[in-house]
Amino acid sequence: MSKHISRRNFLKYMGATAVSVGALGGGKALGQAKKSIPTTPIKIAAVSFLTGAAAAPFGIPGENTFKMCADEINKGGGILGRKIELVSKDEAGGVDAQVKLARKLILEDKVDVDLGYISSASCLAVLPLADESGGLIVAYDCGTHELMEGTKSPYEVPKFKLGFRSSAHLGIDNIGLALFIKKYYPNIKKIAGINQDYAWGRDSWLIFETAMKKLMPQVQVVKTLWPPLGNTDFTAHISALMGAEPDIVHSSLWGGDAVTFSKQALGMGFFKKIKMAYSRGEPYPQEVGKDYPEEQIICCAGTHYFLFTPPDKTSAGLQKWFVEEYRKRYGKYPSYPCYHAYQAIYAYKNAVEKAAKTAGGWPSIDDIAKAMTGLTFPSPSGPITIREDHNAIEDVLIGISKLTPKYPFPILDPKRMEIFPAAQVNAPVGMRTVDWINSWK
Amino acid sequence: MWVVYTLNGLYFAALLFLTSLGLNIILGVMGILNLAHGSLYAIGAFMAAWTVIQIVAKAPPFVLYLSLLSGLVLAGIVGFLMEKSFIRAMYKRTLEYQLLLTFGALLLLEDVIKMIWGGQAYYASAPFDLLGNVDILGHVYPTYFLFVMLITLLAGLFVWFFMGRTKLGIMLRAISLDREMATGLGLDIGRLSTFAFVLGSGLAGLAGALVVPTTPALLGIGMEPLILAFIVVVVGGLGSLKGALVGALLVGFTRSFGIAILPEIELPLLFLIAGIILVVKPQGLFGR
Amino acid sequence: MVYVLIFIVLLFVPRLLSIHDLMLFEYGLTFAIVGLGFNLLLGYTGLLSFGHGAYFAAGAYTVGMIAKYLPEAYRLEILIPAALLFSLILAVIFGFLCVRHTKIFFSILALSLSMLLYALLFKLYHLTGGSDGLRIPLPSLLGISFKGIRRPEFLSGTYYYVLLVLFAFSCVIMKGIVSSPFGKALQAIRDNEVRAELIGIRVRRYRLYAFCISGMFVGLGGALWTFVNGHVTADLSHWVFSGEIVYMTLLGGFGIFEGPIIGAILFTYLKLYAMGNTQYWMFVIGATLIVLVMLLPNGVAGAFVSLFAKLKRRKAAEGSAC
Repeated sequence: MSKHISRRNFLKYMGATAVSVGALGGGKALGQAKKSIPTTPIKIAAVSFLTGAAAAPFGIPGENTFKMCADEINKGGGILGRKIELVSKDEAGGVDAQVKLARKLILEDKVDVDLGYISSASCLAVLPLADESGGLIVAYDCGTHELMEGTKSPYEVPKFKLGFRSSAHLGIDNIGLALFIKKYYPNIKKIAGINQDYAWGRDSWLIFETAMKKLMPQVQVVKTLWPPLGNTDFTAHISALMGAEPDIVHSSLWGGDAVTFSKQALGMGFFKKIKMAYSRGEPYPQEVGKDYPEEQIICCAGTHYFLFTPPDKTSAGLQKWFVEEYRKRYGKYPSYPCYHAYQAIYAYKNAVEKAAKTAGGWPSIDDIAKAMTGLTFPSPSGPITIREDHNAIEDVLIGISKLTPKYPFPILDPKRMEIFPAAQVNAPVGMRTVDWINSWK
Repeated sequence: MWVVYTLNGLYFAALLFLTSLGLNIILGVMGILNLAHGSLYAIGAFMAAWTVIQIVAKAPPFVLYLSLLSGLVLAGIVGFLMEKSFIRAMYKRTLEYQLLLTFGALLLLEDVIKMIWGGQAYYASAPFDLLGNVDILGHVYPTYFLFVMLITLLAGLFVWFFMGRTKLGIMLRAISLDREMATGLGLDIGRLSTFAFVLGSGLAGLAGALVVPTTPALLGIGMEPLILAFIVVVVGGLGSLKGALVGALLVGFTRSFGIAILPEIELPLLFLIAGIILVVKPQGLFGR
Repeated sequence: MVYVLIFIVLLFVPRLLSIHDLMLFEYGLTFAIVGLGFNLLLGYTGLLSFGHGAYFAAGAYTVGMIAKYLPEAYRLEILIPAALLFSLILAVIFGFLCVRHTKIFFSILALSLSMLLYALLFKLYHLTGGSDGLRIPLPSLLGISFKGIRRPEFLSGTYYYVLLVLFAFSCVIMKGIVSSPFGKALQAIRDNEVRAELIGIRVRRYRLYAFCISGMFVGLGGALWTFVNGHVTADLSHWVFSGEIVYMTLLGGFGIFEGPIIGAILFTYLKLYAMGNTQYWMFVIGATLIVLVMLLPNGVAGAFVSLFAKLKRRKAAEGSAC
């Protein structure tokens, strides 16, 4: 060939290269037209319990927060200029209804992302649909550690390509409690447990007991009780616990059951000698009010507490806005399901924005999923990281309830609050939580 | 501690008895298994809680306790409406339709409750707090539970007296024993059935109203009481007041002591008792 | 005849429907099998059970447990017979207790027993997954493994045909049963128990047979359903789920053979669209049920049949008037 490339040929070659690079880039975005960003709104489905016992403590606060955040994002111009259209759905109706609903949302309604799911059963049934149906699903509140874990350690990650959980699982609550008890109550001799008789209660107790056995092997478990979900009479349980004389009682009771237990126990003189350690107890002092007993050990399912100010400035600013805005709109201080909801919708927003930087234009689902993996973003509770196993990890805040003149319900005593860092309470990637605890020295 | 275990057993038995009473009356007199029974219980709970919250700041204590009856009243009204609107139409039809209707009513009422009261929890603890505690042989026991036992006793006595001694009650019993004969004797089945349904509904509402001082009124609060009422009816026998009482005591005490001695068995225990009765004496302990 | 034509049309359905609609239709088909079985007991024998979810759960959990504990046996050719077997066993045990009674006692017993199973499934969580339930992976069929393909592909491919064939079989077998002397005997029992006994029909025994057959059909439906849903939970044995089975049968019409089939498919769409469009979906379903019972007691299919019959009579009357 002639060494002299004519100008015309040069331009031809440059043009060809440009076109082929463009075509490659377009092809990389998996066949999607990688043009400018569409102006149509983004459809986000938010699925929470809007009926049933889980509505009042979790579903409705969650839904409220999704709405609040969507409005806030839209006020700021939306995500990459596209406004959010939030569709709220009910998580009730049974697992078969949820599977059908998730498929409908992804395949027929073509939502951009399906956020939601409080019940572990829903999560376990629905998350596999992400890869099956090719839609992005972000679980926001379910606690089961089994969701992303395999059957033995080490296990392959991630379990789902397009399925994520934007909050940490119940491991952090129960490990955190064990660490806290070891630090603040090193001399106790007896513990007990009262947990609801289903997977949530069983798993919570399992992790707590395993951690306690490792950290405080001298402590004896004197009683474990398993009331059914929705139990309204705890008198028998309260008496049974009092009869066994434990120092501290572990509980993952939630919702109406937690409140009922607290009231009835107070009336029966339970708290005179026994303390409770609640794995996700943060909402209940506000729910119960002045009557909520002091000196109870309360875990916040993360560092989700309306009086907690995260150390980094961005997150601290978000927390200030979050607490004020939620209170203005809904008349209460936000509880942990609210924070979890924030994390889900902002995980999506941050992932889209991160993906857009490399994809150019509106990113595809695969791009967004890639961006969400390993994503760290600020939140009212501090920076949240979603790891390569598609599970978020969080620090955990544990405190002791104390009445103060400023609030009409006990708050966590600022002098005896502990934050356990994520690395101390989340099992490493690929290792089952139980195995990890058992491997501690 | 055994004193408290006994009291706990009595309290739970009282709740079971009252909850199942309404179901049993409707079943006995009308032969209808009212699947919406739990929803009526829930309506009673929400109404009572809401009323207490409205008046707690202004009303004297006596009125507060009286206001719990608002739950009974509203549940009775809803029962009346139910009976008049669609249950009535189904007397001539077969059992299947009646069961399906009450099932449809259950679904409908769950959402009606949500439409009226929304999704949040209603706490009405003033009646519980005001009564304080008593000291029983060195143990602290909330007086409110004794109050519940008293009300249940009164309700039970009322029903017993009513069914056994008043003309109206005897007429109801006549219908439950032999509907055709009763019609033949000139009893106004329609009016009496309505009355029975309202009575049963009101009792369900009362049961719901009595628990709200100790537990918040939440969506879905009626589901477990329905199952428990069911178990008591199965164990004690359909349509039998004595059976309901014995069944409630049996289940209540077994549970209370069971939890103290062998906690794992709690939920299945109730079904186990029901299961054994079903196999050994399928019509229940005192059933016909 | 008509049914052969319908079957042929159904063969082409995967090409006509989107994957999502096809999966919904498959839910409908599995419940159609359930409905057929359930209606043998309700429509033909006159016994209303609010506890048939137990047999659905028996079939479904058979699949789930084999997936969990005997993965080598996780093949459709083993799973289907196993599901039939276990639902039969359960139906025999529960049925024996139930058929000693009629009417309200029967319904109460059936309900209680299914709740007992529910409590067991819920409680024995190490075995059954409890409230979390069990995951249902894709099975293999006659040596062909489906590893690596996604569920929607599986469902719109081989599985659809398996399901369709089994559905067709179920229809044929059930039609045979109800048309047989046994089927006639059941109807006689339904219409007048005393008279049936007097002419020599062993009422209790026949009821038990009907109960067991219906349990098996429901169990088959349950097992087939698991692959479409991908997950099983204890709810399947809860009385509310059983209530949905009754609802479907009524919706279609329990007086007609095809009624439950139509009801099953309609209900699948009804519930999903109610849930998809309003937060008060329970109100919609409940109100629909009440209206149905009051106005269309013979169900949708029944209403059509009556309408058709009325038109026919009118035509005949007009014809004869000429």
